[in-house]
Amino acid sequence: MSLAIAGMGWVTPLGNSVDAVWERLLRGDEASATPISEQFADRSYSAFRVPESAVTGLAHPRLRRASVISRFAATAGLEALQAAGVKVDSQNAGRIALIFAISNGGVIYTKRFYRDVVETGAQSASPLLFPETVFNAPASHLAAILGVTGTTYTVVGDGAVGLLAIKMAEDVMMDKSLDYCLVVGTEEIDWLLCDAYRRWRLLRSAPPIEPFGKQKRGMILSEGAGAIVLARLPRRSAAEAGEGSITIECAHPGGCYGKRAEAEEILKRIVRDLSQVEVDFVISSANGTFIDQAEQGALEQVIPDAVTYAAKPAVGESVGASGLWQVILGVQALRHGELPPVLHADSAISLRLARSRMTVAGARRAIILNSGVNQQVAGLRLALR
Amino acid sequence: MAQLSSTTGEKKPERVAVVAAGVVSPLGFGLAETLNSLRRAKDCVTTVTRFSVAECRCKTAGQIPDERLLAGPNKNQRAKRLHRASHMMIDALREAVMQVPQFEPELTIIGTTSGGMSYGEQYYRSLCRSGNLRHAPTWIANYPAQKPVIDAQEEVLGVSVPCQVIANACASGTNAIGHAFECVRSGRYQRVLTGGYDALSELVFTGFDSLQASTPEKCRPFDRHRAGMVLGEGAAILALENLELARKRGAPVLAEIVGYGISTDNFHITQPDPSGVGPRQAMERALQSAEISADEVDYINAHGTATIFNDAAEGKAISQLFNGVPVSSTKSMMGHSLGAAGAIEAVISLLALRHQFLPPNINFDALDDRLDLNVVANESRPAVVRMALSNSFGFGGTNASILIRRVEA
Repeated sequence: MSLAIAGMGWVTPLGNSVDAVWERLLRGDEASATPISEQFADRSYSAFRVPESAVTGLAHPRLRRASVISRFAATAGLEALQAAGVKVDSQNAGRIALIFAISNGGVIYTKRFYRDVVETGAQSASPLLFPETVFNAPASHLAAILGVTGTTYTVVGDGAVGLLAIKMAEDVMMDKSLDYCLVVGTEEIDWLLCDAYRRWRLLRSAPPIEPFGKQKRGMILSEGAGAIVLARLPRRSAAEAGEGSITIECAHPGGCYGKRAEAEEILKRIVRDLSQVEVDFVISSANGTFIDQAEQGALEQVIPDAVTYAAKPAVGESVGASGLWQVILGVQALRHGELPPVLHADSAISLRLARSRMTVAGARRAIILNSGVNQQVAGLRLALR
Repeated sequence: MAQLSSTTGEKKPERVAVVAAGVVSPLGFGLAETLNSLRRAKDCVTTVTRFSVAECRCKTAGQIPDERLLAGPNKNQRAKRLHRASHMMIDALREAVMQVPQFEPELTIIGTTSGGMSYGEQYYRSLCRSGNLRHAPTWIANYPAQKPVIDAQEEVLGVSVPCQVIANACASGTNAIGHAFECVRSGRYQRVLTGGYDALSELVFTGFDSLQASTPEKCRPFDRHRAGMVLGEGAAILALENLELARKRGAPVLAEIVGYGISTDNFHITQPDPSGVGPRQAMERALQSAEISADEVDYINAHGTATIFNDAAEGKAISQLFNGVPVSSTKSMMGHSLGAAGAIEAVISLLALRHQFLPPNINFDALDDRLDLNVVANESRPAVVRMALSNSFGFGGTNASILIRRVEA
């Protein structure tokens, strides 16, 4: 079953209009890193943060007390629905599924809630904060804003969760009573996350992110949300109705690696499965960590000639949102026949990288790879009909 | 595999068998101990020992003893470093796989709410107190929600299976089973592992206490004197397989999942719509999905948290749809295990179908005057149970129901 991407929206450190951010990426822009101070020590981290202006336009009572993760998600989700021309009302509220992809979740409120418990005792625990610590809080806020009454799932995982959520959407859309599925990936940053990834030796203290670098210097975290609306192609006259549309032609179920060394083998299998037909380019999830080597190895061995683009040096590692961002980038590249430049890539890297703004005119298919740092990998293939 | 309907040309849905199950909960390790506790109406809620509850209203929970969980004969050195939730998943999966050693899942779909939260707590407390952070990388690496699932697969199956982890608050376990059911029923998958897990954590315990959703007293679902929930923990796994294929290869068929309903009510992030519309829609959709009528249901394993609002909404919805069907909330015996609850309660429903009895709703004195329910009060009892409905509802207005049918041996 192929599903068409009927609308897209995102909130990124480079802004929140799909076309405007795309233009910035094509120009080779990179998000500005902001320092985040640690509460308990004299340490500061760098992160790519979403500018305040990107989410201030959204006012809904349900979001009054919500954390920014829910605001990012709502902004991106509503933008995607608007782009798809889908207006949710009481007639179709049960015919739209909502699937969220999240990795770290509402870490800001979770930390604040637990800090009160640790510092001043359980009696200080806030009943207002606690519900916002739950993984599905952003999904429930958006469902309430839209009035969605049917299927709502929040999928959690590592950086691969965005594509795993799209795979789940494909399975959910087997239900013929559904017309659309809105898939949203969202994440927020806090110093606590930066500290955790640093202790895990996956974080770099300051930009740049060097994709596929031998040194594996680490990533810079970012925040935001990405959203796509998936629609079933009309059964009759699918070819003409779908002309010019972009579909999820194949969503791979992904895989889990036990040891880091096993990631490359699983990625190879995924790339092999997705490249059964000719593929024009790859949107990689390279983020400057160990996982880049696994992606590079898989790509070099299975589709060495495919052009590869990696966006994380420009926008950072947004974990739960990253897969959706990559899909949106893949769609934009297929639509516009261009790839932005991969920033900060060493010239010695043997992959065929889009080192400068690059034409991919006539491109029909793209692979999106989503490789997480905590044992999950996923991939899908986009096609221009 | 999928058959075409002779009249519409549409694919007929595949039938979905439960071919194995495993469970770890305060009721016991494994199906046999669980069955024994259910039959004896054992109260497995005890004083919390994992962390200080001195400042909480509620002092009790259903807990799995570490001396059994962490010290089993099959625990190797590596497994000893894992989170308690991973151990629960490993034990539940091991029990299931022992029943069907040839089962090769294509996908794993698991529900949880808080992953390895207690490791996050340890990490944060150590940071706050400038404590020993030597183990921080271990805590951080074992904190994510997918980790116990992957650990269990590695430890028990020895292979990598793609996994989807659903975190729909307290409905997660039933959502996971329901989605897995849909995956097999659609013909896209033939074998899927599903279930749920959650381990008790201080943050979650304190959170429910702050909401005054948990009770300092006994957990009394649907009772007129109910005062709230108690938390629990555990894990349960179900192996689902295309029924026809399972029979062809001679796999045991423990039961058949026949329906799934999901709904979202947008009333409030922590409270259900008092009209019961969300639970009612979930149950109605499960009945429609199974193409059966309400009077074919013989037992309802209710969500039944024993909070004032949840029980009122669920009770109202049940009485609107069903006429005197026996209802019990087994959370009264073992607490509310959140993401595991739906999975554990599916296993309990399975046991009710297999062993023809009604699990009890303990600590029950008198029915809430505003409810019209046939509660299985305080003691289990023999009954003809051909079809069981299991409900789970959660924060954010997520509601899920599944229908499980007895399969004659």
